Amino acid sequence: MKRHITRREFLRLSAVMAAGAVAAACGPAPTPTTPPKPTAVPAQPTKAPEPTKPPAAKYSEAPMLADLVKAGKLPAVEQRVSDEPLVLKAIEEIGQYGGTWRRAWKGPADFHAYGRLNYEPILRWPRNPKDPVQAGLAKKWEFSPDGKTLTLYFRKGLKWSDGTPWTVDDIIFWWEDIELNKDLTSAPHAEWVVNGKNMTLKKIDDTTIQYNFDGPNGLVVRMLAFHGNQWPLNFERFGAFAPAHYLKQFHPKYNKDIKDYKLFNEKADDLSPGRPAMTPWTVAQYKAGDAKLIATRNPYYWKVDEKGQQLPYIDQIELTLVQNNDAVAALALSCEIDMQFRSMDLRKYSLFKENEQKCGYRVFRWPSAQGTALALWPNQSYAADSVLRDIFQNKDFRIALSYAIDRKKINTITYLDQGVIRSEMVVPDSAFYVPEVESLYMDYDPKKAAEYLDKAGLKMGPDGKTRLRPDGKTLEITIETERTGAELDALQLIVENWNAVGVKTALKTMTRDAFWPRATGNEVQISVWSTDRGLEPFVDPIYIFPFDERSWMAPAYGIYYKTAGAQGVKPTGKFAEAQALFDQFKATIDSAKQLEIGKQLVKMATEEVWTIQTVGMVPAPCIVKNNFRNVPEKYTQDWIFMSPGNLDPSHFFFKK
Amino acid sequence: MITFIVRRLLAMIPTLFLVSVLTFIIIELPPGDFMTSLAANVGTSGSSMDEMTVNNLRRQYGLDQPIYVRYVKWISGFPRGDFGYSLDWRRPVSELIVGRLGLTLLLSLISLAIMWIIAVPIGIYSATHQYSLGDNILSFLGFLGLSVPDFLLGLVYLAVGIFGFGVSVTGLYSGNMESAPWSLAKVLDLANHLFWPALILGAAGMAQLIRIMRSSLLEILGQQYITTARAKGLKEQVVINKYAVRVAINPLISVMGMQLPQLISGATILGIVLTLPTNGPFFYRALQSQDMYLAGTFLLFLSLMLMLGNLLADIALAWADPRIRLE
Repeated sequence: MKRHITRREFLRLSAVMAAGAVAAACGPAPTPTTPPKPTAVPAQPTKAPEPTKPPAAKYSEAPMLADLVKAGKLPAVEQRVSDEPLVLKAIEEIGQYGGTWRRAWKGPADFHAYGRLNYEPILRWPRNPKDPVQAGLAKKWEFSPDGKTLTLYFRKGLKWSDGTPWTVDDIIFWWEDIELNKDLTSAPHAEWVVNGKNMTLKKIDDTTIQYNFDGPNGLVVRMLAFHGNQWPLNFERFGAFAPAHYLKQFHPKYNKDIKDYKLFNEKADDLSPGRPAMTPWTVAQYKAGDAKLIATRNPYYWKVDEKGQQLPYIDQIELTLVQNNDAVAALALSCEIDMQFRSMDLRKYSLFKENEQKCGYRVFRWPSAQGTALALWPNQSYAADSVLRDIFQNKDFRIALSYAIDRKKINTITYLDQGVIRSEMVVPDSAFYVPEVESLYMDYDPKKAAEYLDKAGLKMGPDGKTRLRPDGKTLEITIETERTGAELDALQLIVENWNAVGVKTALKTMTRDAFWPRATGNEVQISVWSTDRGLEPFVDPIYIFPFDERSWMAPAYGIYYKTAGAQGVKPTGKFAEAQALFDQFKATIDSAKQLEIGKQLVKMATEEVWTIQTVGMVPAPCIVKNNFRNVPEKYTQDWIFMSPGNLDPSHFFFKK
Repeated sequence: MITFIVRRLLAMIPTLFLVSVLTFIIIELPPGDFMTSLAANVGTSGSSMDEMTVNNLRRQYGLDQPIYVRYVKWISGFPRGDFGYSLDWRRPVSELIVGRLGLTLLLSLISLAIMWIIAVPIGIYSATHQYSLGDNILSFLGFLGLSVPDFLLGLVYLAVGIFGFGVSVTGLYSGNMESAPWSLAKVLDLANHLFWPALILGAAGMAQLIRIMRSSLLEILGQQYITTARAKGLKEQVVINKYAVRVAINPLISVMGMQLPQLISGATILGIVLTLPTNGPFFYRALQSQDMYLAGTFLLFLSLMLMLGNLLADIALAWADPRIRLE
């Protein structure tokens, strides 16, 4: 079976290959100082312009780089942007060079603050989540008919930020010396392993490589868009390639003077200045604990706009180190943030709004792709009390718990009426959205809750207030959480609601460090968390079905699935069905079939009430300076999509 | 005098040793370690970290060894200036703390200076104008200063700065001053960002000093040698400043030693509220994420600063008050 290429994809690919033609069609390269005319028609990211002339590349660059070229310190822009640069369609308009993008972050543990601005993988997530995965460093890719071999064709002439050519050897280096190196990665990530066997790589030439798997790998394209970010050596150990020419000098295998991996870890870190990257900006100045992290433009960045101007538009990024979200807000209120939604609390929305005029910014409300911001999971593999586990496994009981919750009040108290009361695990912007299950068992109806509890065989006890378990004991359950503040208030409300229908509920709060090992260790009766990844749940489907120990609807079943039966408890019924469905999802490269299976899984997870959902799609305030352009007002943000990474931060700009 | 100082310095060594052991044990007390807290962090925002990965990292960073081995490793690095490795920041601790401890010390010293410069004249005024309107107003303000915690003042300052004047009040510099070259404007900016936190930090201590100065001076003013001095026809200025204040100030010096710990712990909380690059935010976070070498080193240095501060207060007292014998 050949990989199906839609008309839309074909157009996009031809657009990429006609990069030079487009640039030529725009006439002589404009000088960066003249403001470009705004495009009359709003940009349509999916429609590619028609090539009119044969490629005769003519590119322009930022004034700061032009000076370096004049001084002979840099090669000309034509030699830097690669032979086949990616031509980026603007969200609003073609931009102008210059400026410093000021943001706040909370230190290296907040790595996404930097990483998501510099999201630059082999393939890319689309701007519109319903579109397929897009070309990135690789211009195209194809599967063999049996789905076991993926061939990636990279752009010719790509260069690392230090000018060294990028080749597929950088992928092989990552695979052999990082991902398969036990001192650096304890085990290769699951997406590179099919049927228990590691993938093998075959270099065709400097820009072509084959990934060979033991069976069809239906996840790998998504993973190349997701894991492709260059974090191979952050604690997360994500990655799909690494700068071999630079890192080999710190790798004990290549440098016999080095005995351990400490220096290698330090140098390979994304935040280490001097580490070559393929990202729009690279770290220029940073030492751990510094008050500011400064990243400046990558002179060898391989993307251009439709006029042939080399990206990024913005000269540098400046991240100010702060302690907590309140300090982020304080910076925003003193007008020292140009564009940011990360770490912005919804509760400060009105404060931000009041300062709109003074600071000259807009405040967008970007819903997060959370099925729900406050999810509760009765643990259906709870081991310490089998009677309770059987009760949790009863769908009627879970429906009763759902009906008993007054979500309207929660939305008002905790989310300032900004959230959406909903039951579905994915959000409407997702390709896997199933409209029918948007709102199941969501009404506040204690009477119905009582009916379902009776149906579940949980009779009211002699006191008329608490119900009894089948073994005659009082029904008592405990919610455990690490939530604080307004979300804790919401949980207290849920406790009241459940007590009111005769389910005696206790609430135990603890720190996240204490909660996490308990929840993943299958020790919690009812866990609380939020269900994000609602745009593309199948990259890491922990909230859809028991996938691993983080699937708190049944961690023991999840461990069983993750370890292929070596550990954990074997699931039955719907859980087993869901796991089998996902096996099919992984084993097909047919995207239509994946879509169908995915929707089936989403529907099943929602209908079975494995997760008790409350209020979802809570927006984060996004502060955008009035002159900071190419940021859309309507956007669903999610960490899987590396928001705002999939909006191409490299083409954000300050309008003069 | 010198033998006294040397003896006191030597006595610090066992105290510091005890402090270091206690510190290490206390940091180890909560369940889990840095890696469990990391696993939670990664689990929420990335892939999962299974037991194997966590153990692998533990081995790499030596967290799998028993507590006494880790303690000995950590403490034996001190003479070499090696304070261990911060797991959270992935850098040696020594790189991280020097500037921050310095700034904490600077802030505390400025605060101390402001306290004295403001408190002593007010104390004198209050004592010499006992029960006057001015004394009553100042006493009221003093009690207010005593009872309002410094972090609350910090928050008020933050709110007034942002909403009242629309200026940045957090951090050490405003706006893009940070990267600007040194100039008069930059120095003024820095001074502005240090003065107010120092004043806030010293508010409670200042109020305390005013009270002590007032009561001490009142007591002295009732003594016979003051009456004698007045009877001899000395000017009131000379009586107060030369004869009364010199004696009345001694209790203030002995209180100084006790105020240092308050200043330093106050600087921690204030640093968090005002996002100052003091050790405050760092220390707090290191404790939260169980980044134990960083937290331990901070604690140890803070204890050392405290002990040195006490020693300096003792020496200052001996110098100011000839009645005190050190031996």
